Amino acid sequence: MIQLETKVANFTKKDITEKPVQIHVDKVNIYYGTNHAVKDISMPIHEKSITALIGPSGCGKSTFIRTINRMNDLIPSARCEGTIEYKGANILNPKIDVVQLRKAIGMVFQQPNPFPKSIRENIQLPLKFAGVRNKKELQEITEDCLKYVGLWDEVKDRLDRSATGLSGGQQQRLCIARALALKPQVILLDEPTSALDPVSSSKIEELLLQLKEDYTVVIVTHNMQQAARIADYTAFFYQGELVEFGFTSDLFNHPEKKSTADYISGRFG
Amino acid sequence: MNSKVTNRIALSLIVLCAGIMAAILLALLGYILVNGVTSISWRFLTSESSTFLAGGGIKDQLWNSFYVLFLTMLLTVPIGVCGGIYLAEYAKPGKLTSFIRSCVEVLASLPSIVVGMFGMLLFVNYFQFRYSVLSGALALTVFNLPVIVRVTEDGFRALSRHQKEGGLALGMTHWHTIKKILLPAAFPSILTGVILSAGRVFGESAALLFTAGLSTPNLDFANWNPASPNSPLNMFRSAETLSVHIWAVNTNGIIPDVQTVANGSAAVLVICVLLFNLLARGVGKWIHQKLSGKA
Repeated sequence: MIQLETKVANFTKKDITEKPVQIHVDKVNIYYGTNHAVKDISMPIHEKSITALIGPSGCGKSTFIRTINRMNDLIPSARCEGTIEYKGANILNPKIDVVQLRKAIGMVFQQPNPFPKSIRENIQLPLKFAGVRNKKELQEITEDCLKYVGLWDEVKDRLDRSATGLSGGQQQRLCIARALALKPQVILLDEPTSALDPVSSSKIEELLLQLKEDYTVVIVTHNMQQAARIADYTAFFYQGELVEFGFTSDLFNHPEKKSTADYISGRFG
Repeated sequence: MNSKVTNRIALSLIVLCAGIMAAILLALLGYILVNGVTSISWRFLTSESSTFLAGGGIKDQLWNSFYVLFLTMLLTVPIGVCGGIYLAEYAKPGKLTSFIRSCVEVLASLPSIVVGMFGMLLFVNYFQFRYSVLSGALALTVFNLPVIVRVTEDGFRALSRHQKEGGLALGMTHWHTIKKILLPAAFPSILTGVILSAGRVFGESAALLFTAGLSTPNLDFANWNPASPNSPLNMFRSAETLSVHIWAVNTNGIIPDVQTVANGSAAVLVICVLLFNLLARGVGKWIHQKLSGKA
């Protein structure tokens, strides 16, 4: 706890210029069948900032982040209520075009999931589907994205090799690169470093700090230090409820609720 | 008994079972090949069979086997793969889906002679296709379709759901994700299933007795017009396949060299299936590499 405090101490409320809210989450409830997994969540997501969702396993944070780009549609028993307002529309509206939504709000998963195809195809396949046909343009975007995630020098000579031959950390950066290729505004990351070694994890963290200059980043993490290190805002979820939301420095240094204090000091979770 | 001993006993039993299995397989293959290879000659493969004289070949039967196999696969693979994709990706869990799935299972476990009788009633008599290549291929389609559906569904289900999520999260539609990501990824397991079922189809006899028939018109291998009655490509002529031929010469053959012809045919059948397996595996590996990039 003391260690944590020193780490976030130089990072106080005043240093952050508050960015406008990009996504308004209002009274969102999510059910799996009769299981009420996420209860009445309301919170803002600020643009070009990192918002971290923390909490113990099964607290609903992953369920919630997967709702922001409607990945929960894949689960037949899942049902959502409430509104998530983005660009004046409710994301949860069944009539919304999820394909367009997912292009604007990209997602990176816990387990790096490159397609069992070449590195080049991994980036260009979704691009082609999005309508980019020009070969030169495809090539440029591929190069730009790989450079952005710091992978270009490592893979430029093996773009036609299978992406499954990359290391876990490289695979995860490739997954971020291919999400960026679609020029999204928001990137959701569901525990992106929990399957990676510490060196690869810290590379991803650096990348996330770079990402927030251009994108809105929402990250679910099990690792409180990670949230403390990189997030501007932190939301603490517990048993499906949003217990506390605020600036990361405030939440870690002066938690308002007792369960938040207990969790961040390692008393449970 | 301590756990180490138990472990050893279990291991020995498993090795023993595997050994017995391999031994039976090798003995069977060896027996067929040793007895049959001597009867195989270029003449045997390229001459017509004879009804009562010694020295007949199996040219037409061999051709018929491949032709029926080709038509069957042409019918079953597209339909079966689509059915499997439907069951794995689109069908919502419910009564209809489980009904379809049990139909597939029942169909897969039908004895082939029953499929043959059904084929005779429906294709040969009702649709008036007579004893023909087409009737045979359709009967084998009934026999093979559920296998392909099963193999495809299992192949798709064995894929990690992360692949599908990856495709959808990148703004691709469900169908595009299936077409570009899941199907290529499931391809090796589907291909393995198709090869195995092809072996079964190639060696099938009971389902063909009453559908493709026990005789072949004098085929003219210079005439490739599918409409002419003695063309190898004609689908409406009767066609005795290799495995039916083995059955026929053994049960009611009056040629003096029944044993030689039967042994030779059996060996050719086995060799074809083996070659077919090896070739298809090679091709599968090559296509998989094309689709997934070099390792």
